[in-house]
Amino acid sequence: MKHYSRLAVFALAIPVASFLLSRPSAALDPFEFEVYPYRTVGRGVVELESLNSVVANGHRNAEVGTSKGTLPSQSMWRTAFELSYGLTDRIEAAAYVNLAKPRGGDLQYAGSKFRLRGSLFDQGQLPVDLGWYIELDYHRVPEFDDQKLELELKPIIQKDFGDFSVMLNPIFEKILVGSEEKKGWEFGYAHGIYYRWMRSLMPGIEFYGGIGMIKKPDPSKEQQHYIFPVIKGELSHGIEYSVGPGFGLTRGSDRVLVKFNLGLEKFFGAIFGPS
Amino acid sequence: MKYLIVVFNLMLLAAGGLAMAAPGEDTVVELRFENRRFTPQTLNVPANRPFKIKIVNASKEAIEFESFKLNREKVVGPGETATISLPALTPGSYDFYDDFHQDVPEGAIIAK
Repeated sequence: MKHYSRLAVFALAIPVASFLLSRPSAALDPFEFEVYPYRTVGRGVVELESLNSVVANGHRNAEVGTSKGTLPSQSMWRTAFELSYGLTDRIEAAAYVNLAKPRGGDLQYAGSKFRLRGSLFDQGQLPVDLGWYIELDYHRVPEFDDQKLELELKPIIQKDFGDFSVMLNPIFEKILVGSEEKKGWEFGYAHGIYYRWMRSLMPGIEFYGGIGMIKKPDPSKEQQHYIFPVIKGELSHGIEYSVGPGFGLTRGSDRVLVKFNLGLEKFFGAIFGPS
Repeated sequence: MKYLIVVFNLMLLAAGGLAMAAPGEDTVVELRFENRRFTPQTLNVPANRPFKIKIVNASKEAIEFESFKLNREKVVGPGETATISLPALTPGSYDFYDDFHQDVPEGAIIAK
């Protein structure tokens, strides 16, 4: 019972604080609706993921909602293929290929991402489990994102309360190459709370959003904030999934999105020894 | 006001870093993987006390020790040893298995 009251405070405080203190949302990556846990992919394990989302009810004007380029968000389909590899027990590397299909158009290459992610300390050693994440985003097609190269940093924070897991990913993003490269850091977030009910079926709630520039946040109504009721789980043969609808909480958000992520994990072979 | 969100996140990190648990002498139990099975299949541990499991993979293939209930996963290469830390458990039974080989019989950690 003690676990659940602490969990309730923690779980309510984080999204509410993020929402109230923040305003969006360039730091929101519409190609990846995923909250990262503390734990990395196992050493020598390869994971291939398909991260998909579609804007079911969005905006018909560009640069509103999840649109970051000259194409509107309405009916935009996005798919990212992600290949991750566990370099050590604590560090994984990943590469992504982003594809997008605008309304009435064809599926096309939009850009690529490369990242490293790691975990600090042993799980359970600290009161909260901590990790780190560093990513470079290359945007090839200005219709989907008109900034060429971005750097994304995020600490990863996880705390388990009995059968519940709370995961927090505050996001700090900086445009390195593009018309806004002289601007400062942007802030966003991807948070989740999950009930570890069964290995194959874990219900949860995810929160995504952003405030725009840290020094000069976007006006509240232009920000994007989303809530996603999700289910996720691990099936046999290393197959993982995460699906759910997302609902925009501000006028600047798309109204409804649907995400469905699928992953396959296999042991490939370690190139480094245990750490 | 605009810096509050940054301060808020830094506080979260600091809370984790500063409040590091004091090191203590945890009970260590050994679990061996050999001939496609865990030995022992039932690990008895004291309830309400943190402990560690030392996993010895004496086989010629990699395994992934996993416990859904305890939210732990660890890849252990052939011939390698790994240790995982677990929090104090309430009395009960907690499953574990090798996620790479689903034909390997499951084991149980009994906290009492």
